[in-house]
Amino acid sequence: MAQAAAPAIETIGITKRFPGTVANDRVDFSAVPGEVHALLGENGAGKTTLSNVLTGLYRPDEGEVRLFGEPVSFTCPRDAIDAGVCMVHQHFRLVERFTVAENLVLGDRRGAGRHFLIDPRAVEGQVRELGERYRLPVDSRARIWQLSVGEQQRVAILNALYQNARVLFLDEPTAVLTPDEADTLFETLRQMAAEGRTVIFISHKLHEVMAVSDRVTVLRDGRVVGTVKTSEATPQSLTALMVGHDLQTVTRVPAASVREETVLDVEDLWADGDRGVPAVKGVSLRVRAGEIVAIAGVAGNGQRELADSITGLRPHTRGEMRVGGAALKNGDPRAAFDAGVRYVPEDRLGTGVAPSLSIAWNLALRAYRHLSRGPLLRLRRMRTDAEQAIQAYDIKSSGPAMQAANLSGGNLQKLVIAREFSGAMKLLVAASPTRGLDVSAVETVHEHLLDAAATGGGVLLISEDLDEILALNDRVVVMYEGEVSEVEDRQSVEEIGLRMAGATPSESPEPADPAPSPSPTA
Amino acid sequence: MRPRLPVTIEQRLRRPRWLAVAVPVGSVIFAFLVAALVLVATGHGPVSTYRQLFDAAFVEKGSLDQTLIAATPLAFTGLAAAAAFRMKLYNIGAEGQMYMGAITGAAVGLYLGGRGGPSPFVIAAMVVAGGVGGMAWGLIPGILRAFFRTSEILTSLLLNYVAGLFLTYLIFDSESYWRQTKGFNATVFPTGKPLPPSAIWPGLSFNLQGGIVFPLGAGLAVLVAVLLWFLYSRTRFGFEAQVLGDSPRAARYAGIRVRRKILAVMAFSGAIAGLGGASQVGDFSHALDGDPNGLQLRGYGYTGIVVAALGRYNPFAVVVIAFLIGGLQNAGAALQGPSFPSGLVGVIQGIILFAALGGELLTRYRIRIHLRGGRRVSGRVPEAA
Amino acid sequence: MNNSLAVVLIASGVAYGTPLLFASLGELLAERSGVLNLGVEGMMLVGAVMGFWTVERVHATTAFTLVLALLIAALAGAVMAAILAFLVVTLRANQIVSGLALTIFAGAAGLSSYLGNNLNLADRPARHSFQAFLPNSMQNWPIVGPILFGQNALVYFSWVCVVVIALYLSRTRLGLNLRAVGESPAAADTMGINVTRYRYVHVLVGGAFAGLGGATITLAITPQWVSGITEGAGWIAIALVIFAFWRPELCLVGAYFFGALQALAPQLQARNISLGPTVLWANALPYLMTIAVLVVVSSGTTRRRLGAPAALGVAYVREEH
Repeated sequence: MAQAAAPAIETIGITKRFPGTVANDRVDFSAVPGEVHALLGENGAGKTTLSNVLTGLYRPDEGEVRLFGEPVSFTCPRDAIDAGVCMVHQHFRLVERFTVAENLVLGDRRGAGRHFLIDPRAVEGQVRELGERYRLPVDSRARIWQLSVGEQQRVAILNALYQNARVLFLDEPTAVLTPDEADTLFETLRQMAAEGRTVIFISHKLHEVMAVSDRVTVLRDGRVVGTVKTSEATPQSLTALMVGHDLQTVTRVPAASVREETVLDVEDLWADGDRGVPAVKGVSLRVRAGEIVAIAGVAGNGQRELADSITGLRPHTRGEMRVGGAALKNGDPRAAFDAGVRYVPEDRLGTGVAPSLSIAWNLALRAYRHLSRGPLLRLRRMRTDAEQAIQAYDIKSSGPAMQAANLSGGNLQKLVIAREFSGAMKLLVAASPTRGLDVSAVETVHEHLLDAAATGGGVLLISEDLDEILALNDRVVVMYEGEVSEVEDRQSVEEIGLRMAGATPSESPEPADPAPSPSPTA
Repeated sequence: MRPRLPVTIEQRLRRPRWLAVAVPVGSVIFAFLVAALVLVATGHGPVSTYRQLFDAAFVEKGSLDQTLIAATPLAFTGLAAAAAFRMKLYNIGAEGQMYMGAITGAAVGLYLGGRGGPSPFVIAAMVVAGGVGGMAWGLIPGILRAFFRTSEILTSLLLNYVAGLFLTYLIFDSESYWRQTKGFNATVFPTGKPLPPSAIWPGLSFNLQGGIVFPLGAGLAVLVAVLLWFLYSRTRFGFEAQVLGDSPRAARYAGIRVRRKILAVMAFSGAIAGLGGASQVGDFSHALDGDPNGLQLRGYGYTGIVVAALGRYNPFAVVVIAFLIGGLQNAGAALQGPSFPSGLVGVIQGIILFAALGGELLTRYRIRIHLRGGRRVSGRVPEAA
Repeated sequence: MNNSLAVVLIASGVAYGTPLLFASLGELLAERSGVLNLGVEGMMLVGAVMGFWTVERVHATTAFTLVLALLIAALAGAVMAAILAFLVVTLRANQIVSGLALTIFAGAAGLSSYLGNNLNLADRPARHSFQAFLPNSMQNWPIVGPILFGQNALVYFSWVCVVVIALYLSRTRLGLNLRAVGESPAAADTMGINVTRYRYVHVLVGGAFAGLGGATITLAITPQWVSGITEGAGWIAIALVIFAFWRPELCLVGAYFFGALQALAPQLQARNISLGPTVLWANALPYLMTIAVLVVVSSGTTRRRLGAPAALGVAYVREEH
């Protein structure tokens, strides 16, 4: 690969500050033409900030950006696009009601869109050609809302290619893809690199970084801690850079607290997704008291709908569900809560908390009916309960009256946990509980989860983070396209990965591989 | 390249309490200053004009009476708006709900009063009927929103027109129960049938300014304000309503029956406005006013929204502001004439509201001005970190 | 035949519907950019009074005066709209309350009255007004005569506006950008489209159209000035935009439908046809139908195809710099 070549894009001493933090601290970074370069780091390491600086969304406080050796200063994303630097965001910046063609024409300054009168059909030929060339086939007349998430991502990438991007950034591109789609994406990226473009993708997933990149730059706490050739790196060495020390893959000692009693019994459960199409298809599941069952899977395979069904937020269309032996009333969050089902939702600020209400009121969010005397609230009791919870769970705040929205991510999660852990908890459903949290907050949450199991509750952990799943589970179940399959070797990343892609290991499983390996092909 | 402004707007971390009062007060002052400029530009002396306004609103003989008459409906519609807006339900239909409350209140007053019932009973029945009429009308957009996800803003607005047409129809285009059919005047100009004496709402007389009457409706409005405050801060209903207004998903997660809440709040809001309509009939017009140039031109429903917004949906503030705006309306009407600029009232009200809306920005965001050389000067008192 | 109820109704519908058409076209543009403008009524009233004032004060030929009056009415509407734009786009104030505030400020108890009464514009007919101008022979053609050829210049101008706006939205780059701004300001911003500028421009143009609509009433329909002369036409225009699924050509249909309904009662009366509740239903029908349309448009399946611009009513805040 062309390491000795002049860099396509580089930064010298970039510093970017936000109130309270330094997101990028004197970052030197460079990527050369023809390579696929990964930006690796934990959440909050500064990868997205750096990319936003390089693509014109942010202005650096200090430092310089150079494009092909020339200093550049972007004031807005448009400047960057015009210079050939494009970003494919995690949440695509596409207009949902427009067709694919219209979206491409929208930003077009050079081609068919530059005229006063436009005809989106003029773009169709190019869309088809680009689609074939890069394995991104899309119907140019389809409207974005009609496309699947994977197809929408293709449109976003097509957009960048249409703009003749020479440097392309992708932010966590595989977060919304199945392993198959991810593989196709990687081929597309390699092809783009082979043509001389520079592809930079942000990730926190070791497997894919190892699979597709030529070089990796690791960020931690806003600083660059190393740039290595992928061929010379191992998952352990990268992890060491990311975290600062060798991560002990904590493997849980199973069965220590697991009892015979069944806490959750789900049989042939079916539930519909938001678009009316079944998202949960005949799931059967059992969780015993003291057991942690982890559900692995790429987002979008029905996990959210499953969690919603079990906790009552979503009615199921078929099947049965029993908690502690008793059937749950369908689609009633209140009944589920009263039956001992607790939910730490993945969408903290949107579902788990009412942002502009106080901490005390949020802590009472589920149990307020019991905290009231008839129609009246018992405000004093709510306040003292809140003070106790703040102490017990170490929620850093200015008091029970503080607005929940002002809490940091970690403290918000502590609030949700404090609330959910109260009372008689039989089953805890935790969906992506550590997403977006820093390392110490993650540790705290994991401790709470282990606690919940140790005290006799059953835990259903839904997560996309394989490391988390490996560390915490007694059993692993993989969800793929609405169905679940039990994993035989709960420590085998290979098997888990296979099942996540919809395949099953054929004959006798291979010996368990202690270190995580690159994602297998189906 | 787009030019960069040296000003950035950042979201505040915490909202200081004092701003919540300072902004409305500051807006009023600002508005009067700007309006003064308008006055000067059109050849009227601002000080004398304001003096006239104040006198006509509060000082002159009989002015407080008139102010209360103008303020009472505003208090009702303001409270109606506050009750709903607090929950992010934008009920713009207080106007129509008021009409419906007037219709049902008048019907009960005419019927029961005509049958010779005792006055307190008749009046109580009118109050209830007014509430029911408004509630029913408010439930329509509520149902459409709860079950069909239709925006209540436009449906409630459109229903205002339907209610107005219905009201006019009852008096002008039909021989309805509400219409006065006896007497010579009846054929010349349609009017509503006058209420029997037992249905006329009493007032509390004070020996001030030569005697002012505190209408029953005004008292009811204050009671409603207390009820509303209590409801929202001390009860489960209020808790649920606030959660729902803040985050519908969190509400669902909390097990709050969202549809029921929407219906309940819209019903409650409509009932308050309907009560205002009954008050119009019982306290003031003593007959159903179907004249398109009468009740329908006053715009109480819309002004009530403005009152609610200025009071930041706090029930007590709403009542106070209703009183003040009522004074302003009254003064504007009383001073109408060649020497006094008509329309000034609306202009001042509008500017007050603009200033309050703009000031709202200051409570939510902080304005930072970047001086050259990268130094930053904060446009507001810096907060505790 | 030209005096039959149907023909007269349609012809009147076109005439009465024109102010609604102008105002709704303006509102459509504003809403397509994502701004819900509830101040239309106030903007129409200000346009009405200023247009009338021009005609009273300017001494020149009829044609010149009328054109100038239209320009001034449009300008007045735009100035009012500028206040709203500043409040909701720059200051990010609540769009609903701001629009209502503007209506109160400029409305029948506000600025328009202030100006009209202070400038002594009441109680007199306009010195110049828009009349039908095509030759009488054409106006007398069966059916199409009164409906198409018996209208005044403003009506014909409104047709041109409908065509221009329809083409603008569907065929031009600026129109595409505008639609993007109203659907997904974040996407538009990333593509380099200045969301703020588009919103300002289209809200102001919307105000100008509203002003034009108001002037249509005082210079063509009545033609006289009275405080509050629009009598709610602004609110109807807002409803019209929804009724028309945010499409200009349907605005035309809807405006004339509403206009015809307005003409129904007086026509029935003139023909001594008994009124009764038919009048009530006829008058209420447009509103009820619009509500029905709203329900349909908001339901899940149709929302994506037919519904409002996705970002309507929401202030756009770009990420931190």
